[in-house]
Amino acid sequence: MTKETIPTLTESSKAPADTQDKAYRVIDTDIHHSLPDWEALQPYLDEPWRSKIVAPNSRVGGLGVEAGRSRLDSIPPGGGTPGSDPAFLIQQLIVENHVDIGILTGDIYGWNVHPNPEYANAVVAAFNNYTIERWLTPHEQLRGSIAVNSNDPEAATAEIDRLGPRDDMVMVIIGGTSTSPYGQKFYHPIYEAAMRHDLPIGIHVSSAGTGIAHAATAVGTPRTFFEYHSGLSRIYMTQLISLVSEGVFEKYPDLKCVFIESGVAWLPHVMWRLDKEWKGLRREVPWVKRAPSEVIREHCYFTTQPLEEPPNRDWLLQIFEMIDGENCLLYASDYPHWDFDALHVLNVLPRHYRRKIFQDNAEKLFKL
Amino acid sequence: MARHFICPASEIPPGARKLVTVAGRSIGIFNVNGVFCALRNACIHNQGPVCLGHVGGTYLPSEPDEYRPGLEGQVLRCPWHGWEFDIKTGSNLIDPSLRLRTYSITITDGDVVVDL
Repeated sequence: MTKETIPTLTESSKAPADTQDKAYRVIDTDIHHSLPDWEALQPYLDEPWRSKIVAPNSRVGGLGVEAGRSRLDSIPPGGGTPGSDPAFLIQQLIVENHVDIGILTGDIYGWNVHPNPEYANAVVAAFNNYTIERWLTPHEQLRGSIAVNSNDPEAATAEIDRLGPRDDMVMVIIGGTSTSPYGQKFYHPIYEAAMRHDLPIGIHVSSAGTGIAHAATAVGTPRTFFEYHSGLSRIYMTQLISLVSEGVFEKYPDLKCVFIESGVAWLPHVMWRLDKEWKGLRREVPWVKRAPSEVIREHCYFTTQPLEEPPNRDWLLQIFEMIDGENCLLYASDYPHWDFDALHVLNVLPRHYRRKIFQDNAEKLFKL
Repeated sequence: MARHFICPASEIPPGARKLVTVAGRSIGIFNVNGVFCALRNACIHNQGPVCLGHVGGTYLPSEPDEYRPGLEGQVLRCPWHGWEFDIKTGSNLIDPSLRLRTYSITITDGDVVVDL
């Protein structure tokens, strides 16, 4: 990688010329479509959940800290929740952001920490049906993620078996916050079901510190959204370390995991720390037969957003090199959330990197 | 290369070890089930006193949640960072290309003799 291949700052502020020329497709791997309001889920629910979904305080709550959740300009022209109007989302994201295929991730996976698993099971299934009927069936540029309640693996498995055969569902998505680390046996039926349908598992940060979840951090609850949100990589670190330590990828050699909205720069630390600890402690985990960093590179993908913005852009490129980012990163916008990454944030990368991160890696992983 | 008398072999029964200084070098002499081995007392990782480490077995590569004990009495674990080595070859269990320095050792007329 030479410095000549890095565009100037002025060039970086535009969408990459090669995507506008359609030299490759842009696949956006994290689009948060949503419900206009909870009433919109009622047609997809049976009682008692149909009445409950609109009852005050019946749903997964927030941390109680202010969260500027969405871009202000993403509110649909007719009003309503950002990401809830398919036509407006397609205009603002797919057309204006030059996206060719959009993978919908929704915003329902965090229900795994709802105190009532039966209610959560009904809600995620209803949301999946809403996604299929309102979004996937009418819009061929869109693909979906099967949301499941990871806290009830039996129900999650049934949901994966129900929707797994569909071509328009390209992964299973679970909330990043869980009551135990995801490597543990309790969760393995979910991975087994995903394997039956040849689907990757997406893990998306969610609902930390709410419902039946533990405190949002191991040292307690942050006071502001800024504090909470700045430290979210710890959730991904814990889950990634658990999956590797428990030998999940030994047990399911074809399993792929996607860490969505994880960012990138924390990865060298975790890879190197795992490798270092493994050299001294491998006898505790004799099923970890290869260096953890190798296992991660073979089985895990990470979405670029929220891409770190170091004062020196070369440092980011160095980090990409350290983690083999060329082969494990997927572009994600996180539309319509406030910390959205437009295509041009990846203009810091050389062209061959962009092609892989915008297109090739996702194409291969999701069979697009 | 010179031959160095260490001690009578009977001083190091199976499972025992002796730390000696030979030509200014700290060396560990091990008896692994009747096989004598000599290793330099410096870990290839961070120069820790590896020959002072725990001698025992390990868990061999296995399936998740399965523990397969193996190499009993043949594994030396560095007392600093826990790296494991096969005493008979000096090789690190994770990466056999990483090896502790070994020395030629013989039993001559009942005596342990090391060449270096």
